[in-house]
Amino acid sequence: MLAPSVILLTLITILPVIFLIATSFTSWDLSRPGSLKFVQLQNYVRVFTKDDRFWNSVMVQLKLSLLTVPAQVALGLALAVFLKERIKSKWIVELSRSTLLMPMVIPPIVAALIWKIIFTPPVSIFSYVSVKLGLGPLNWLGHPQLALLAIAIASVWEFFPFSFLLLYAGLLSLPEEPYEAALVDGATRWQTFVHVTLPMLMPTINIVLLFRIIDSIRAFPLIYVMTQGGPGFATEPTNFYAYTQAFTFTYVGYSSAMIVVVLAFTMVLTGIVLNRIKWNRGAVT
Amino acid sequence: MTVEQRSDPANFRTAYPGRSHLRLRKMLGKTADLVLLMLVLLVVLLPIAWLVQMSFRTQLAVFEMPPPLFAGWTLENYVKITDTPFFRNLFNSLVVSSFTTVFALAFGAPAAYAISRYRFRRETLITFWVLLARLALPIGFALPLFRIFSKIGLINTYPGIILAYLTFTVPLVIWILRPFLDNIPIDMEEAAVVDGASNLQVFLRVVVPLSAPGLVSVGILTFIMTWIEFFYALIFTRGDMMTAPVGVVNFLRYEGWDWGLITTSGVIIMVPVILFSLFTHRYLISGLTAGAVKG
Repeated sequence: MLAPSVILLTLITILPVIFLIATSFTSWDLSRPGSLKFVQLQNYVRVFTKDDRFWNSVMVQLKLSLLTVPAQVALGLALAVFLKERIKSKWIVELSRSTLLMPMVIPPIVAALIWKIIFTPPVSIFSYVSVKLGLGPLNWLGHPQLALLAIAIASVWEFFPFSFLLLYAGLLSLPEEPYEAALVDGATRWQTFVHVTLPMLMPTINIVLLFRIIDSIRAFPLIYVMTQGGPGFATEPTNFYAYTQAFTFTYVGYSSAMIVVVLAFTMVLTGIVLNRIKWNRGAVT
Repeated sequence: MTVEQRSDPANFRTAYPGRSHLRLRKMLGKTADLVLLMLVLLVVLLPIAWLVQMSFRTQLAVFEMPPPLFAGWTLENYVKITDTPFFRNLFNSLVVSSFTTVFALAFGAPAAYAISRYRFRRETLITFWVLLARLALPIGFALPLFRIFSKIGLINTYPGIILAYLTFTVPLVIWILRPFLDNIPIDMEEAAVVDGASNLQVFLRVVVPLSAPGLVSVGILTFIMTWIEFFYALIFTRGDMMTAPVGVVNFLRYEGWDWGLITTSGVIIMVPVILFSLFTHRYLISGLTAGAVKG
């Protein structure tokens, strides 16, 4: 019963990855027939030592992850704690959860469109309000620094519900006893949060962090619709750069090498995720 | 109620004489909480609402700031969009998502059953595989698959994009269905085996009916995930074969963006997902967070 899906998945995931690794050692360029030749590690050497645009893309990725992941997790955590402690009414909690689900379930392309509109001043009520408040128009997408910030804001909006949902579920599954003990000891609310809630919630927080980091590397629709990596290469993370090399240009060999590098990195992180899940079986709801 | 108040009610009463005062404070606190919550929900919903209202605006009213409250409304965008290839795109999406769902269940459900019933020594390996499919960069599969599909003529065909979607939907089905199957008692299967049923018969006649609710919800989830998918669709479908999300972006490429068509097409692909999510939101949460959450 396992065989059909193992065969299928081997054909459509393992085989392609082997193919990818193989082509990463070639100079394959679709625009030059006969370019499919073995070139040893040349592509990898070029990725690491000769390609400034690659290192720029790594920096962009780093900035993007730093701008989004901590904010997504912190917001999700704050909201989860707030909802658990302060909102007693069941239906308001349900209403909040359904509403918070929206940014995550709407098609990513629509989320990207929404934020493209927000940062396109002539059609954006938000830009209009910003001008009225004296903050200037929100034409950020053409700005070398603000463009990445715009994408980060969109990404936080779209994905903080992910951390909220996981952390909220995690909070609900925590045992009551430590809280009662803290109450008896006369701990303040903040002390209870820092010394009781946070340590118990740490496994969930770790997993949320790792998932958000990896998803921030996978981010595509927001960048594709909002900036296409521009202005210049200011918003071009590695994933997007590899896409450009492979599909806008025709450098299959070179982009394969770049993808292998990113893939290896995400696999290491995946290993970490898996280990955390194993260590904490039961701790994660 | 703060912690100190709860721990020493007697002291509390002397500090705050008069119960009406206490009740008022509590009510004010509660109202403040609710206002804060509503503000957060508003921040989440307002951007979506803005897109939706744009789709009902005339071409001129889209640019009017502040937006006119009573003037400038129209349904013309929803009429105009029927003259574009967008409905072909929607049809493609419907075909692709339906077939992907059927195949993902056909492959994934027996696998989930096998993993659930027969303990594997390589269980960790399978878990890793499933997680990898959830976490690996789509382009890692998309680029080689694109080259392979070009060779065998699967680019721009339904089977091509469906195969690409199976890379992540089959693992998803296995992941979600397995804990569901773990919870189904094994007695009936054993009875069937005693009666001489084969493994496949047990699965089809006993397990499938018992796990119908799980199958339906994971099916809905698979449908939604592929319906909203953009990256593979962008790479594997062009022209006539484009799925709806790519069709939406296609409107962005035209000279002089027609915001009416752009927003209308966006709303059209968004609405079914929102409706589905309201009905199945519990399963949706477990699906969207699959990999991070057990069960």
